[in-house]
Amino acid sequence: MSGRRPRGAGIRGPHSALTDFLAANNISAQEIRDSYQQRVRQAEQEAAQTDDNGEGPSNGGAEVEEDLQAESSTMAAERTRKRKRDQDEAIAKIKKGKAAKKVQKKKQKKNSSDDDSDFEDVMDMYKKAKPLPGQLENCELCNKRFTVTPYSKAGPEGGLLCTPCGKEMVKDTKAEAKANKPVVRRGRRKMESNRLDGMTDCGPKTLQQLCIEKLAQHSEDIDELGEMPEGIMNRISEIFSKKRAMNSTTMKLFLQPDMDRVAIHEAAYLETEDYDQIFAICPNVKRLSLRNCCQFKDSNIDYMNEKARALEEIQLLGANLVSNDKWAELFIARGKDLKAFKVEWLDAAFDDEAVEALTTFCPNLERLKLERCKQIGPDSIDAIARLQHLKHLTLRFHDPITREKLTHLIRSIGTNLETLCLEHFLDNTSDPTDDVLATIHTTCTRLSKFRFTENNECTDAGYVNLFSHWSNPPLRYIDINSTRDLDNTNPDGPQESPIGLASAGFLALMTHSGPSLEFLDISSCRHISHETFTLVFDGVKQYPHLVEINLSFCPVVDTHVVAGIFRSCPLVKKVVTFGCFRVEDVRVPQGIVLIGAPRAQDLIEQFGEGSLDL
Amino acid sequence: MTGSKTTEYVTLVSNDGYEFKLLRSAACLAGTIKKALDPTSGFIETTQNRVDLPTINGVVLEKVCEYLYYNQKHAESRDVSDMDIPPELCLELLIAADYLDV
Repeated sequence: MSGRRPRGAGIRGPHSALTDFLAANNISAQEIRDSYQQRVRQAEQEAAQTDDNGEGPSNGGAEVEEDLQAESSTMAAERTRKRKRDQDEAIAKIKKGKAAKKVQKKKQKKNSSDDDSDFEDVMDMYKKAKPLPGQLENCELCNKRFTVTPYSKAGPEGGLLCTPCGKEMVKDTKAEAKANKPVVRRGRRKMESNRLDGMTDCGPKTLQQLCIEKLAQHSEDIDELGEMPEGIMNRISEIFSKKRAMNSTTMKLFLQPDMDRVAIHEAAYLETEDYDQIFAICPNVKRLSLRNCCQFKDSNIDYMNEKARALEEIQLLGANLVSNDKWAELFIARGKDLKAFKVEWLDAAFDDEAVEALTTFCPNLERLKLERCKQIGPDSIDAIARLQHLKHLTLRFHDPITREKLTHLIRSIGTNLETLCLEHFLDNTSDPTDDVLATIHTTCTRLSKFRFTENNECTDAGYVNLFSHWSNPPLRYIDINSTRDLDNTNPDGPQESPIGLASAGFLALMTHSGPSLEFLDISSCRHISHETFTLVFDGVKQYPHLVEINLSFCPVVDTHVVAGIFRSCPLVKKVVTFGCFRVEDVRVPQGIVLIGAPRAQDLIEQFGEGSLDL
Repeated sequence: MTGSKTTEYVTLVSNDGYEFKLLRSAACLAGTIKKALDPTSGFIETTQNRVDLPTINGVVLEKVCEYLYYNQKHAESRDVSDMDIPPELCLELLIAADYLDV
């Protein structure tokens, strides 16, 4: 500091640019002058000495001088460095002192009434005051000097750590916490549940699946879903419904003004006002699907008729608070625009007159599904028979329907049908005949999905007749489950002419539709023989599109048959064998899931591992 | 077509300029990247071994890369524990996953 006047003294002489530059680079004019004078003095002394010795100036003297000069310059540099360090430390000390004083003052203020505050202050003096952000400190671990920030971590001894050391420590503590966490074992129940859900693949879930599951966990925290592809939107809606997270708040996530499809798969928690919201936000909705919409009332129908004028497809499950008149009003309002109408689980209203209104005012219906509606009966069948544009028809009636009505229906509209699902159609007025199947055989030529279940009226011969020389192209989807004789005293059924789909019928079915069949459900078709199964799935015949097959409660199915299915169906993903007690120890190929094999307890993990050559 | 040889590593570039170099095998688990890098497709990506993803930002892409390696590592194993996804990234990641087909 020798050369420079202490700052803050107030008096400063004129400054040249050079002085400023030198000062900035820690070069002091005073020092240079000092060393020069020193050199001059030394030279004079030496000169005096040599004069004394009587010798002339020698080279040696010059050398010494040079050495000295060099020495002094290095010393000067070192000094400046040291000075800077000293200065910094001094500043740090002052700051530290101030900070400590502040803390002490605070403490004093706090504890001014306490007697032992002095003692505490004394104790505090022995503690090292922690540096404040912005100050410098030596790292406790690596001893490096660093600037303290509010994020600096405390070391094991209580001191502060520099950033790299702090990061290292955080990492260590995190790893430790991870190691201490108990390993979450997914229980067998969860595994079985997943398997029933059809999660067959053994690898990790897709990233989309992971994200959607995470979203469902945090359903309450989402403000907005934003622009999402419709498929993903629907997927999220499904999983929200499954987790019962679909309520008034979360429902709004799925409503966007430009949407033409609204699907809420579980609307049980929604209130009457929420349904109005749907039509207020999405007036352009074309396809509406609300399942379990218990609170959907007459007023909602009114609002829907007023707002949603583009509606073409309506699906309402369990809308029991809508009265008959309102149903009729809905059909009048939608009129010829209505393309699809699906209702299920209605028992308070929706009677034959409502169906009459539907068929009268909405002649362009292409898709109709009426299931488990208690108020409708045979008259509705006649009304439906007038819908000439129907392509997809699904019916499940509560009351018995006579065979004449049913055959009349099929004869009237069967030619255009692509989907025909008749569940649980029983006629207890006359003896069983195969009329229905015969009518289907002659009338329907465009079917791709056929479901004819839960009846014991048609014989095996009827099925043989249906599937032999049928001008209908091979079907994609066949469900003939639970067609069998129901006589407890004779569980095997009549041997001569079996009732329900039996060996010959199954053979005819697979011969007709095998080439393009994707889904087959023949559960509880108890009269199909083992020979037929081995003949159909012999490992040589190929069913190239079959993905899912349900053989539950076909008691003859055994390991051999299941293995035959694996070999005959290259694309098969899911095989269901509930109640097939002869299925044991199957080696399931990779990518296939076998569900419900009751005897395979020790091999409960039925995910495929082995290769196809069994 | 000088650089048309397939390299072991490919580069994914986010819209904010972050570059992620990862194994080609892992990157190709994503359908979109696989198609972009398919040598028979003739896309420019095949010659540069570099895929620009202008709709995905760096943070999300990092997570995607993490998932790709996670998927590759666990491809054969069963009962894989789910990868942790920060909830705040979920929506963006979902859109990215849909785009990349993973």
